[in-house]
Amino acid sequence: MGVTILSQFFLDNKTGPQTIEVLSKRIAALGAVQQGHFLVDCETYTSVPQLGHQRTVHVLHNSEQPATVFSLLDNGTKITSLATDGLFDLLMMKMSHFYTSKKQTKVESKGLRYEIGDFCVKLGTVTVSSNCKGILVEVEYRPCVVPAMCWDLMKEFLQGFLGTAAPTNPPAYLQNKMQDIYFPIDTIHQYLDHFTMLRKKLFIS
Amino acid sequence: MSTPGNAMDSLSAALKCNIIPNQEYLLQGSVLDQYVEVLLHRLRGLCDNVDSGPETFHDHEICFSLRIPNSGATTSMPMSVFSLRVRRAIDVTDTPFQLRYIGQQELGDKNRPTVVRSSIDMACSSSIIEFLNELGCRIDFEYIARGYMFRKGRMKITVSKIFKMGSNKQESVEPISQSYIVELSVLAPSGQDSIGEDMRIFAEQLRPLVQLEKIDYKRLSNMM
Repeated sequence: MGVTILSQFFLDNKTGPQTIEVLSKRIAALGAVQQGHFLVDCETYTSVPQLGHQRTVHVLHNSEQPATVFSLLDNGTKITSLATDGLFDLLMMKMSHFYTSKKQTKVESKGLRYEIGDFCVKLGTVTVSSNCKGILVEVEYRPCVVPAMCWDLMKEFLQGFLGTAAPTNPPAYLQNKMQDIYFPIDTIHQYLDHFTMLRKKLFIS
Repeated sequence: MSTPGNAMDSLSAALKCNIIPNQEYLLQGSVLDQYVEVLLHRLRGLCDNVDSGPETFHDHEICFSLRIPNSGATTSMPMSVFSLRVRRAIDVTDTPFQLRYIGQQELGDKNRPTVVRSSIDMACSSSIIEFLNELGCRIDFEYIARGYMFRKGRMKITVSKIFKMGSNKQESVEPISQSYIVELSVLAPSGQDSIGEDMRIFAEQLRPLVQLEKIDYKRLSNMM
């Protein structure tokens, strides 16, 4: 477990699958080896009106931590995070009187997982009810757990295969936490930020 | 390597195969303080962890509930209540917190030897208390339980002293009674009713030191 940077990527006049193809070729040319698949998904539940002001619970799973369920509770002003065992999903089903989910809100990012030296790269296609909404590139630098100490290195690596589209600044969520130890829940926060943005998008061009 | 499956799909598959331990079989009783040593001695003789002795625990449990008024005349209950319990060890600091949902007692067969109720038990991070508060839960009650845990096969036996939450100082906690609560329980997938019989036989072996019974919670709540 190291530091992870998640960024969106798109190419003009290219569809989702075409963009993935371009990226896979670039990463393979750098010497990356494909190591299986990955999946990050997010289901959103909202509180029923009788429960007072509206709160939203986002329940996320990451195939990198298959025995854990991550939940982020948004009360409008702050987000509280929680990590639990897999049975949390069952608990959410029991809570359906209080928190309900809409079928159309389920988002997932899935695709191929590559390893290249100390880096792990995941090229994900984001879909909402089987509509492609965009491409998310996840890069993890595994030997380090403090973002500030490896950000420059990661930025350079990202530029190596994303070119000018690579992020020039750390993700907004990480900017206040650059000196802190990085945890898997931090990756989940980044996914949620992107999922929220991509959900609002209609279709990828 | 195959594509990782969707977590919800694997959960439904696990539910379908009935491998999730989501039923609790339970018997309860109590023993006065002056006789607890005799009971512990008997349990040491009967249970599995003979060499290492019983495991001790010192836990803090908080019971939360989510409540909403039921609208319409479709149900006789005026409120929908959903209870959740959080338990953390006071004596060990690096263990995860435990979150637990306990459902209504199953009515079922009157001749069934134990209480059967649904239960979902999971480890969670320490942010759970803040999370439940934000979720809209309120604290119903809290207490401190200190005692011993024994095992016999898949059965768990706890002998615990319950204390009221005092002020912040842990030394000032006050016991709620002059007795210990004794619980015999098994967490198993549903439909394994033979466990109830094993529990009945085991409870029989503890008589007359402690009388473990099927407690009817509905009757208890009417009495209050």
